[in-house]
Amino acid sequence: MTDYALTVCEVSGRGLAGVSLAVLPGEIIAVVGPAGAGKSTLLHIASGCVTPPAGEARIYGMPVVSEAARHLVGYAREVPAFPPALTVGEVLSYYARLHASNGRPTSRGLAREALELAGLAAAGDLRVGTLSRADLHRLALAQAALGGRRVLLLDETLSGLDAVARRDLSRRLARLASTGVAILLAARDLAALDRVAGRVVVLRAGRVVRAGPLAALLAERVLEVILDAPPPEPPPGFRVTAAGIEAPLAGRTVEAALALCRAHRLAVRASRVRVKSLEEIVLETHDAPAR
Amino acid sequence: MQFLRRVHAEWLLVRPRLVRTRFGISLLVLGAALLWLGSRGLDPLAVSLQAGALGAVLGAAFAAGADADRAAVATALTHPTTPLAVATGRCLAAVVPAAALALACTTAAGWHAGTAAAGIAAAAAVGSCALVAVLALGNGAAAALFLFMAVAGAVDPERLVGLAHPGVARLAAASALELGPALWHYRDVAAGDLGAILHAAAWSGLGVVLSSALVSRLRRVR
Repeated sequence: MTDYALTVCEVSGRGLAGVSLAVLPGEIIAVVGPAGAGKSTLLHIASGCVTPPAGEARIYGMPVVSEAARHLVGYAREVPAFPPALTVGEVLSYYARLHASNGRPTSRGLAREALELAGLAAAGDLRVGTLSRADLHRLALAQAALGGRRVLLLDETLSGLDAVARRDLSRRLARLASTGVAILLAARDLAALDRVAGRVVVLRAGRVVRAGPLAALLAERVLEVILDAPPPEPPPGFRVTAAGIEAPLAGRTVEAALALCRAHRLAVRASRVRVKSLEEIVLETHDAPAR
Repeated sequence: MQFLRRVHAEWLLVRPRLVRTRFGISLLVLGAALLWLGSRGLDPLAVSLQAGALGAVLGAAFAAGADADRAAVATALTHPTTPLAVATGRCLAAVVPAAALALACTTAAGWHAGTAAAGIAAAAAVGSCALVAVLALGNGAAAALFLFMAVAGAVDPERLVGLAHPGVARLAAASALELGPALWHYRDVAAGDLGAILHAAAWSGLGVVLSSALVSRLRRVR
């Protein structure tokens, strides 16, 4: 056994190139990057569904393909798929029967727990074929977490949802994490991550190009300058936006940056400082020349 | 014990499929049609064999033929189960309702234990084979197999082989008819022919093993 809930060590092949990461119990790590970066492949490998040509994934120190590890790791696929004729309760009872065994809670108890955990207690009798997108994602979360699994691999579980559903699911993930469940969350929709992820791993073309605590990644400040008229050419380091120009402060003061604007004879109407968004960080890493 | 629990979990999905999809009504229509044909001269053994075989093809199609069902298998494999347990459970879910239909049709057409056994053997062999086909190719394969069993499955193999061109094609057709599950094989089950019983048993086992390999492949689907 190790302290880490999930370790991915030098995984290469299937579009990944030497990806390593470790997730502690109770930690939520977001894996972000453009389509094709390798997010889903990473989760697929971490779930044990495919074996990488090189490297390995371990759950609490055990190979992910082992029977013991499979009891501990839950996986919600990008496109949740369940038999459409079954009700939500029947789907969860089916999975619960696979988990229930001597000395463990009954399948009925496990299914009820999973329903409540994902906020589906009132939807137990609804057929899967009639579920909304948000409820399908809840069901995907419920089946992944079913049986008290300690590592959850969630592929786009928060993506494409309305703000209310996303906030509710984010809270549920945070609650799960507070009980020691480790969560690896792949997301192309970055709006949800600010509230839930503790650490972020940015993938590009199968490589980890940036990683760190979300607070550290979002520490960089950006100066937004609103101008009366669009500039013929922005000052060095600035880029043109819809309302004016903006630039990362990157060590210089606001006064120095504004002085640069004035030196370029720009009519500054207003300015404000904001933190860099996760989307900007992902775009920067995408636009940066490949190493 | 764990294996049986996992198979049982798969098997339990048959009830919702019977009552909430067109599976149940399809079996009823099939049974009614075969009994009507029986009243028009189709012999009771053929009624039982067709009920078992065609019911099993329908069962396989509704157990694993739809894209959503096959995608759901991939999700199931992220839980503590095995491809063999999934394949065995789905096979039972295809075969048991068809065997029940064969028994019901045999009873309605005039009970004969050998006839009922032939229907059950046909359900087991064709159901396993159909499960392999739908897992590999989807419901299109189920439709083709259904038509083959309904039309060619009841025809003498000599007549079918005679239709093929001489040479390799005829040899292939003869081999396929001899080796594959076909209703003329299982007519002999009614007479207690050991070869026919072994043929059905072999197809049942082989079908589950091949289905298990195909289910295992579905695990890799994202």
